[in-house]
Amino acid sequence: MRGFLDSLLSLAVAIAVGAVVAYISGYNPLLVYYSMFVVPFTDVVYVTSALATATPIILTGLTFALGLKAGLFNIGAEGQTYMGALGAVIASYLAASALALPLSFVIGISLAVAWAMVPALLKAYRGVNEVVSTIMMNWIAYWLVIMEASTTFSNPMQPSETIKMPPSARLTPLVPGTSLTAGFFVAVVAALLVYWLLERSVIGYELTAAGLNPVAARIAGIPQSRVVIYSFLLGGVTSGVAGVLQVAAMPPSYSLATNLANVYGLGLDGITAAMLGRGNPLGTLLAALFLGLMEEGARHMQALAMTPFEFVKMLQGIMILVIAVRMLELWRRR
Amino acid sequence: MLLTQTIHAAVPILLAAVGEILAERSGVVNIGLEGLMLIGAFVGVLVGDVAGSGLIGVAAAWAVGLLLGLLHGAIAVYIRGDQLVAGVAMNLFGAGLVAYGIQAVWHVAGYRQTPSWALVDVNAMTVLAFAVAGAMWYILSRTRLGVAIRASGEDPEAAYSVGIDVFKIRLFSTAVGASLASLGGAYLSLAYLSVVTKDISAGRGFIALADVVFANWNPLLAIAGALIFGFFDALSYWLQIFGVARYEVTRMLPYIATLLVVAGVIGRAKPPRALGKPFRKE
Repeated sequence: MRGFLDSLLSLAVAIAVGAVVAYISGYNPLLVYYSMFVVPFTDVVYVTSALATATPIILTGLTFALGLKAGLFNIGAEGQTYMGALGAVIASYLAASALALPLSFVIGISLAVAWAMVPALLKAYRGVNEVVSTIMMNWIAYWLVIMEASTTFSNPMQPSETIKMPPSARLTPLVPGTSLTAGFFVAVVAALLVYWLLERSVIGYELTAAGLNPVAARIAGIPQSRVVIYSFLLGGVTSGVAGVLQVAAMPPSYSLATNLANVYGLGLDGITAAMLGRGNPLGTLLAALFLGLMEEGARHMQALAMTPFEFVKMLQGIMILVIAVRMLELWRRR
Repeated sequence: MLLTQTIHAAVPILLAAVGEILAERSGVVNIGLEGLMLIGAFVGVLVGDVAGSGLIGVAAAWAVGLLLGLLHGAIAVYIRGDQLVAGVAMNLFGAGLVAYGIQAVWHVAGYRQTPSWALVDVNAMTVLAFAVAGAMWYILSRTRLGVAIRASGEDPEAAYSVGIDVFKIRLFSTAVGASLASLGGAYLSLAYLSVVTKDISAGRGFIALADVVFANWNPLLAIAGALIFGFFDALSYWLQIFGVARYEVTRMLPYIATLLVVAGVIGRAKPPRALGKPFRKE
């Protein structure tokens, strides 16, 4: 409950600071917040769009939450999501039937996990700081996926995107005219699974123990290397799924933009969600839904208040800064 | 040519790394260098453009970095908040603010050429950066102030018991450290690249963090590290110009090099003992 109140407080501070910034830059703060927080509720299409926006953020948020639980700062969801999306594109290239969908998950998750394993192994066996290594992997993935998307897998009909998912392999909108697909429920189930895993399973127990006190955990027979690898592996899976869904469940294009527009920044949003959710998988789920709402609102803000979309990202940064002040008691015991 | 490009490419990493060494030697981690660099790049062009002077732009970027560093320092030192979370927040805030600001101020999406009247001489800033690194080494290893800073990061209780104000030392080390990262950003936008984009720092803030470890918290070794990273940065453009490989491949080089270098040197690196641990009076 205290965590929830802290999050509300951080939102209040961000809204106040944001109002000043918006006013100084010549926008109407009232119109900005009206379009961000009220307009999304005025139409069912907007609500479903907010849920669709939240879908990948739930999954990348889980990646960061899994790291946080084990006392790790895994910033690699960004690059792992790119790799997951690349996997879906490769699957569309290999199979022209419904088979492309399961194949997407296999290839996408494998690539994302492979991407997560590099920093995990470097951390476990060479002691390399995971913040630096995951960011480097993000940038390597960025250029790699841009290259692949604009060469081997580019769409000859539409140069700004890759080849599309075969129609029979797509996750199409559940209600026609909206953008809500089964992908949303995949993400919700993933959050419940991760919650169960962390709270009820042996792996979760080991991660939590190592996160609270790595020395005591090691003495109790839980090697740090195993903890790092499990945490990054599971995180790679959820981010990989996020990437796959951004292609397979992304109407109307069902492809990856060659400038990575439909996957760019999702890893950072996930970090925000996990921090707002206090590293708890269910908290992360709620926070991601809220962020999805904010970003859907930001699209209306762009249209109605003429305010740049990134205003919402600035608000999120301020929220986390306020949280940093209070988060101390929660996980910082390492 | 490759040599001068290497030196020029090393400057932002060097400034940020030297600043971080100062902060970490006093006991405070700031992983928000990337965000500070972005903000410095943006503020430099904004103020330089309006004031009609690149130097004023540089000074403004430095001052804003100092203020944000005071904020991070206050959170880390007095409120005993989470330093890593605050650093991540700075990165998120910087990315949002700069992308927003570029559109709000110039009404263009994510890209603004620095006007000619706001440009600053690349070589002058390069000399400044290397001088700062040398001065930082001297201060940290040869002066009483340096002893006080290092003591605050190694054993704050002992430092406090001999009359060193650990709180103030940490606050100002963090602030000055952050101001150098922001200065590195102003170098990017006002001198080296003469443009400001929403991702102009391109991971350099994190490469600087890697350089800190590589340098074993020594500003002189940080010069060597920054030059290594600068070399791969410069090399990537050369390979691209000569058509050796696609530019996407060459652009990966600095990041791959950073990974290899940190993987290779870990083990002999020894961080300050009280790094990241908030100090409280008995």
